[in-house]
Amino acid sequence: MNTTAKTTATLLSDTWWVAWREIKRFQRQKVRIVMILVQPFIWLALMGNMFERMAQVPGFPADSYLDYMAPGVVTMVTLFGGIFGGMSIVWDRRLGYLNKLLAAPIARSAVVSGKMLAVGLQTGVQVAVIFVIAMLMGVSFKTGPLGALTVILLAVLLSLVFAGISLSFSAVITSHEALMAVVNFLTMPLMFTSNAMMPLSFMPSWLQMIAKLNPLSYAINPMRSLFLTGWNVQELLTGVVVLALAGLALGHVATCLFRRSLA
Amino acid sequence: MGMGEQSGQPVISVTDLVKEYRGGVRAVDGVTFEVRRGENFGFLGPNGAGKTTTILTLITLLRPTSGRAVVCGHDVVAEPDRVRLRIGYVSQDIAVDDTLTGEENLYLQGRLYHLDRETIARRSREVLEMVDLTGRARDLVMTYSGGMRKRLDIAGGLIHRPEVLFLDEPTLGLDVQTRRRIWDYIRLLREREGITVFMTTHYMEEADQLCDRIAIMDHGRIVAIGTPSELKAGIGGDLLTVDITTGRGGTRDGGVQPDGDGELQDLLLTVPGIKRASRASDGRWVLVADRGEESAPAVLEAMGRHGLRVNYLAMKKPTLDDVFLHYTGRQLREDEGQEDFSRRRIGLRRARM
Repeated sequence: MNTTAKTTATLLSDTWWVAWREIKRFQRQKVRIVMILVQPFIWLALMGNMFERMAQVPGFPADSYLDYMAPGVVTMVTLFGGIFGGMSIVWDRRLGYLNKLLAAPIARSAVVSGKMLAVGLQTGVQVAVIFVIAMLMGVSFKTGPLGALTVILLAVLLSLVFAGISLSFSAVITSHEALMAVVNFLTMPLMFTSNAMMPLSFMPSWLQMIAKLNPLSYAINPMRSLFLTGWNVQELLTGVVVLALAGLALGHVATCLFRRSLA
Repeated sequence: MGMGEQSGQPVISVTDLVKEYRGGVRAVDGVTFEVRRGENFGFLGPNGAGKTTTILTLITLLRPTSGRAVVCGHDVVAEPDRVRLRIGYVSQDIAVDDTLTGEENLYLQGRLYHLDRETIARRSREVLEMVDLTGRARDLVMTYSGGMRKRLDIAGGLIHRPEVLFLDEPTLGLDVQTRRRIWDYIRLLREREGITVFMTTHYMEEADQLCDRIAIMDHGRIVAIGTPSELKAGIGGDLLTVDITTGRGGTRDGGVQPDGDGELQDLLLTVPGIKRASRASDGRWVLVADRGEESAPAVLEAMGRHGLRVNYLAMKKPTLDDVFLHYTGRQLREDEGQEDFSRRRIGLRRARM
């Protein structure tokens, strides 16, 4: 093996072991698992019912609001899962575990990529669960099992973007209260300046502009096509590429901020 | 003990190390020392003296402002990865994951040091046995006591057979009984693993019990360095603490009472065997005598001759606390609850985070 291949292999294994801890922690926390099952059900049932008559408005792009809402719930759960990804670093710092990780001969980037991987895997499982629940509730889905896997892929990529944002903040913010405040400040505007809940055409034009720049839109649009209409390859590729690049870039930003905070 | 021909060779070598935090706090202010292979070296000093900052620099988590530190033959700034592979670090926080079992904590630690499954299993058995946690290895750390967590943390620091183990305040926040057990484990790990231990503590008894050599630290500087007995011998003899009342009229044999501290000091120094005399902050005199048991009656007699009343006299062999007092003018114990020190410490902890 040459040195580059060896470094890459080490980075991948370091990433896996950092993520392994998060996965173990997740498995032990029964409440979190229960919430994953309950939360999408509540969202779909509650919001789906509340806004049911929305679908009767002329120009609404779906037969039922529930159909329209399902990909919205997927992105919302993804947003919340990802944006809290930095919290575990803040806790690790508090408990002294971060120093233990950094004192080990693992790459600095593995701390960031490991936490991102854990968020991604968790999101994948969560979205699969949402799928099952949505199907049981009679949500229509046009593209079959391959489409479902694609939705999961989009959700995982989107969660990496938000985890990257969150981890970047956690490199500079050392109290969990402060990080919480930043996260709360970000989530609602991100959610409501996207077309997760409401079609773009229903929004004023200035909000439409913002929605087009929102990373959420790059996941929601292809997802919604997969749910409601069918394969839209160009839209799908754009989404995957933009989200993957954004995730990589933000992961890199977080790693740089970490390196700097250590000096 | 495994102290063969290698014993003289430095495993840590630090030259003029300075660490200044953003905002200008100079936590380490020009520190130079060496640690020999196989020895147990301790930093003793009050909270905020710069001990943890020095450790964090040596384990490559902080970049020094200036100066040089070489650990296991590698510069901590130039080759941090090589240093990390050869050292173990146990922080003053008990950094174990309580949602994992003891065994899982060690497994993860082993994986982070790139060990394979078999090696981890073998080493886990050894280190768990050493810290007496074999029976509880499969329980969640959540169910462990504070002392058990600390032992697991120490075991984790040993999993990859490091050449040097860094222990930052190994018994901070533990009760006296648990503290003594941890001491036993630290002695045992040196016996069995033969590794070099670098530790910090603000408990002088801990340093006295465990360290071959001690560096006394205060305000970011090393004020004295040596074996515990060398440091104590540096004081120059036994310590007499005397409380003397002055200004009670004429003397028994018509002599003149000494006037002021200066004269009383001169008088005390004329007593046979008394080498030094100084007045402590509580008003008592601290005398250094070659042989305290002979000088004590001589002091009483001399004071009596000059019409001075001795209210209190105590004699003791010097402790590291007295050594600290001797070099810094303050008592180590006084600092533990002192406000400005705890504030400085909080400031430092913030700066480190």
